[in-house]
Amino acid sequence: MSIYIQAAAQISSQEPLSDAWFTNPKRYTERHVRSIDPDYKDFISPIEARRMGKILKRALATSWTVVRKTGIEQPDAIITGTGLGCIENTEKFLSAMVRDKEMYLQPSFFMQSTHNTISSQIALHLKCNKYNSTYTQQGISFESGLFDTYLQFKLGKINTALVAGHDEMTPEYFILLDKINYWKKGKVNETILRKSDSIGSFAGESSSCFLLENKKTAQSICELKAVDLFFNPTQQRIKQAIEDMLLKNNLKINDIDIVMTGISGDCNNDCVYRENIFPLFSATPIAWYKHIFGESFTACGLGMYTAMLALQANKLPVDYLYNKISPIEGIKNILIYNHFKNKNHSLILLSSC
Amino acid sequence: MEALILELKKEIIEVLNLEELTPEDINEDAPLFVEGLGLDSIDALELIVLMEKNYGIKLNNAAEGRDIFKSVRIMAEYIAKNRTK
Amino acid sequence: MNEDIVVTGMGIITGLGYGKKQTLEALRLQHSGIGKINYLQTIHADYPVSEVKMSDNEMRNFLKIPSEKIITRTPLLGIMALNEAINEARFDKNEARKIAFINGTTVGGMEKSEQYYPEFINTEHYIENHDCGSSSEAIAEYFGNFDMITTISTACSSAANAIVLGANLLKTERVDVAIVGGTECLSKFHLNGFNTLMILDKAACRPFDATRTGLNLGEGAAYLVLEKASNAQQRNIKPLCKLSGYANTCDAYHQTASSPDGQGAYLAMQNALYESQLKPEDIDYINAHGTGTENNDLSEGTAIMRIFKDTIPPVSSTKPFTGHTTSAAGSVESIISILALQHDFIPANLNFNHPMPELSFQPVKENITKKLQHVLTNSFGFGGNDTTCIFSKIE
Repeated sequence: MSIYIQAAAQISSQEPLSDAWFTNPKRYTERHVRSIDPDYKDFISPIEARRMGKILKRALATSWTVVRKTGIEQPDAIITGTGLGCIENTEKFLSAMVRDKEMYLQPSFFMQSTHNTISSQIALHLKCNKYNSTYTQQGISFESGLFDTYLQFKLGKINTALVAGHDEMTPEYFILLDKINYWKKGKVNETILRKSDSIGSFAGESSSCFLLENKKTAQSICELKAVDLFFNPTQQRIKQAIEDMLLKNNLKINDIDIVMTGISGDCNNDCVYRENIFPLFSATPIAWYKHIFGESFTACGLGMYTAMLALQANKLPVDYLYNKISPIEGIKNILIYNHFKNKNHSLILLSSC
Repeated sequence: MEALILELKKEIIEVLNLEELTPEDINEDAPLFVEGLGLDSIDALELIVLMEKNYGIKLNNAAEGRDIFKSVRIMAEYIAKNRTK
Repeated sequence: MNEDIVVTGMGIITGLGYGKKQTLEALRLQHSGIGKINYLQTIHADYPVSEVKMSDNEMRNFLKIPSEKIITRTPLLGIMALNEAINEARFDKNEARKIAFINGTTVGGMEKSEQYYPEFINTEHYIENHDCGSSSEAIAEYFGNFDMITTISTACSSAANAIVLGANLLKTERVDVAIVGGTECLSKFHLNGFNTLMILDKAACRPFDATRTGLNLGEGAAYLVLEKASNAQQRNIKPLCKLSGYANTCDAYHQTASSPDGQGAYLAMQNALYESQLKPEDIDYINAHGTGTENNDLSEGTAIMRIFKDTIPPVSSTKPFTGHTTSAAGSVESIISILALQHDFIPANLNFNHPMPELSFQPVKENITKKLQHVLTNSFGFGGNDTTCIFSKIE
């Protein structure tokens, strides 16, 4: 049983619903970068859009894009990962509740604030009664949803799945996370992030959506070979997990052409990759993506998107290379490794098809 | 009454986020729900909050709103009779 | 992969009390946990709720959590329940087997965030605890020995969906044990949110009653320990029951209302029956979602009639006992269903007096003693996230 990514769409700091940015990504120096939004009229009627925050519009636009590309209108599973949920609406309801002392509150904001609004709205628009779930585990929220999908494919419960990762970063929440040192204090650029000598990264937003199927077609972009999650692993546990994953897929360490990491410029974050990945993959090109997209709880979805494009193009532009090793011709296998505060870790294995 | 109708239209546009509309676009005698503006049950709840917040009229349940929210004019007439603010 | 999934431990805390013993006693004596708001500071104090009758400090003392440790009420409730489950299943911190922790929650640390929002002056430490995932992490770290954790947030079906994921993790042999369930504390955010939707009742809720006008919120936490039958045997532990089947579907009708014909509920029950290889007439008791709102009870009642036709088993909602524990409801009510199964006892649907004219059945008014083999429990969340679980006695 094999799983293929048949279509994908993204809205982020890069050109929305497009892959043209891959060979020449936009660079930012701000600490808070908001996504570039497309025109949503193609996807959502004005009467519906009026109630929707950005995150919901992005979710519908990316979902409709992959559905239209593949013609799979009723996926067997719709699963979303989101770290903060619909935080814009949560804040609107919460701030009104605090300001107006629990009086005259508006139901729309509450209604659209729950995390599962995203998956539900997608199902509502597609009129899809099948499996529907929402995961929220901070920096591995996207991978949690992907993991559920992967298990269901393995069990033969589903043939198709729409899997997504969505997070928005409002100005207010940015300030809150700034208080607890999520962001660098001054301007940021690649040089500063590479130094990894201080805490914090920069804030981005992420919307990524993938349509998966267990059938290879002319559309198939690449293969999803494995997904796994770990909690508080020791270095030994992570090493073992990587080796087990490769072994189960008949691969050795040097079959991995690129390791796509969640290196972000935050010293506490990055040292974990140095300890767990660099020694194990000493001859392998190490790549990163958070310097392009910023840090968000579902940024790994964009990491997987980037890896997917690399497999499709058979090439990874230098923009995403972290160490000096240039990729060899022919990218067949990419291991994507992400972690959140060294507590929750994830592994995704993609291969060309 | 005309002033109240205009005020109500502006408030409806704001609270229901009907960004693309102006008061002139709303016919005060046209249905608000299903046809006409095509509002739904969540909009009804929003209008209930509006009634209490701006006019001091408290409805006890969503069903009470069904007759009052038939059109902007009917809403305005109800408000004129029952407002406490 | 075709081996039975069994339950070897359970832990629960709700307005009925702490632990299975207090829960069962309350059910037998028909003592509801619903009453006046005591701990939550809100202007809407006239809404009855089911609060856990322990303050945060009392729980911290019970669990021996040092005062410097920052932890909010949702994970505190979770740790209380997890404690009981782990003790019953006889795990300790040095357990070598791979264990997953799957937690359902929506509120997370909101009950603290809403107190300090937006400035969080001198309370920045609560910012980190706001999101749902941090609650799960706090619970997991108390026990300390989980190989993987994650959090599900599908509103009122969250804990039930944790059961679904746990079962799938066991079937794929990713872990040897899955501890699954949910936790949710009361918060102003939730109370006010439900209030704006006009689905709260100022009187005690009356599921499946023609005069019903809404739900009463509750808080609580509950976890089940799931493992394969062979694993339990290896560990020399007698299972409590088995998880025969489960299903997750989506109503796809409206963000907060269920469809008139209960399509999502119908599909959830149908698929769970199919997976358990059971027929409708095999079900001995339905623990309904039964919130007491006009919409849910009609929708769910209609779906029950569509599935069970002439063979509708006894139905009760236990939300008049525990309140609607939202993200924890799926596991709270699974444990109540399993207690029913173990003791051949069907808890009453309290406060019921007037049959709904639209339904061909009424819920049970009094406690019933009846031999039970298979019980079905429903959890339906906003957004149409519908999940059904079926538990059975082991022959």
